[in-house]
Amino acid sequence: MSEVDTNTVESKIVEIVANQRRVDPATLSLSDRLEDIEIESIDLVEIIFAIEDEFDIDVPQDRDAMKLDTLQDVVDGVQRLIDEKNAA
Amino acid sequence: MHRVAITGLGCISALGHDAKSHWRAAAEGISGIGPITAIPPEKLKIHVAAEVKGFDAEKHFDPVKLAVIDPYSQYALIAAREAIGDSGLTFDHGLHDDTAVIIGTGIGGAKTINDDSDRIFGQGKIRTPPMSIPKLMPSAAASQVTMEYGLNGPAFGVTSACSSANHAIGEAYWMIKSGRARAAVTGGSEACLVFGSMLGWQALRVLSVDTCRPFCIDRKGMVLGEGAGVLVLERLEDAKARGARIYAEIAGMGMTSDAGSLTDPSAEGAARAIRQALNEAEIAPDDLHYINAHGTGTGQNDIAETKAIHLALGEAAAKVAVSSTKSMHGHGLGAAGALEAVITARAISDQIAPPTANFTMADPECDLDYVPNAARSMTIDTALSNSFAFGGLNAVLAFRRLH
Repeated sequence: MSEVDTNTVESKIVEIVANQRRVDPATLSLSDRLEDIEIESIDLVEIIFAIEDEFDIDVPQDRDAMKLDTLQDVVDGVQRLIDEKNAA
Repeated sequence: MHRVAITGLGCISALGHDAKSHWRAAAEGISGIGPITAIPPEKLKIHVAAEVKGFDAEKHFDPVKLAVIDPYSQYALIAAREAIGDSGLTFDHGLHDDTAVIIGTGIGGAKTINDDSDRIFGQGKIRTPPMSIPKLMPSAAASQVTMEYGLNGPAFGVTSACSSANHAIGEAYWMIKSGRARAAVTGGSEACLVFGSMLGWQALRVLSVDTCRPFCIDRKGMVLGEGAGVLVLERLEDAKARGARIYAEIAGMGMTSDAGSLTDPSAEGAARAIRQALNEAEIAPDDLHYINAHGTGTGQNDIAETKAIHLALGEAAAKVAVSSTKSMHGHGLGAAGALEAVITARAISDQIAPPTANFTMADPECDLDYVPNAARSMTIDTALSNSFAFGGLNAVLAFRRLH
């Protein structure tokens, strides 16, 4: 299994989120709260779809999986799923 | 203007293959939600639904005809047969020319679409079965019912996602009220527990991983259902003249559009539909006894619907019994309003409010009387049945007990 560079995960996620919000990735920071950058539930669903497609992971269906506060939470969650997938 | 009576009920759902078992299970708080059997579990991430159980299509249909009838039309026909039989209507003396057939559906022939897609994109074939189009069209169920009973009046399908059946029943009600039709066979049908459709719902992330707990703090989303509900409606004076059993009267209909979001419901839009239905039925908020809620169990619906009921009823909201029977028969999408109309008609005729099953603890933002877990014997002279669809399309039916 190839190691996934954390920086790549971060930058990919920022790119996906920026693309969904139609903003310049440079305007986003990992400490941004999703609420503050106007990520609504439908955006989050689109973002999760793009993340699943990009990293070939399955984000759990349980609603608790949607309880994400900041962009860093998203990065951490995705990294955890990638690690779990590589360990399997 | 004519008053409109419900004289026949028919249903097939996760709760049973006829209206009686559908109602009995709902009134006893028995849920039909269980593991999905129609699709191999390893292909899905969501493993629960409210499937129609033990259904053998060949027991109901000639095998040759079956090849051209999608399951969604099969369900509609089975419910229509029961409702028409129950009503005792024979459509003679020209009534067949004056009977409308209006059947709602969210998708139409989902299984036909699914299977054809699999042939083309999965198996790489370049031909579909020849009857695919007339099987899958969202008006197929209405056509099938007209053909089986020789009904020559106005007939069409109606589609508005989760409000389809309420829009269909409301349209049929208005046709009879206005004199355009003397009777109607109306309701909704859906059979979309197929692989492609399930993947779509999974991606939308509104499905519960375990069960449906409307209005509860720990609700996790909706559970898909399937089936059909059909009502026979007729002019009240005709029903009385022939001595028909009358379950209830449909007395009002409200329909509005949020013109807002594709997926976020608006309390204001829903409240306007509730007010319209009450106004047409001449029911004051204080005199409303029961609401069969849309109550999907999603985070957004249940809060918005609770707000809508407060907005529409004011202080009277606190004393109305509100239950979501989707906790038992699942979310039947285009069939939902019809599965719930059957229950609401029986709630009035039997004077029993069915419960919200699987109830744990109310969400603090959901502060109405949700009839948790146990049915309630009570006076039900008036009732509403709410449907609020994706795309902001709201349809609310008002019912009255006939004294």
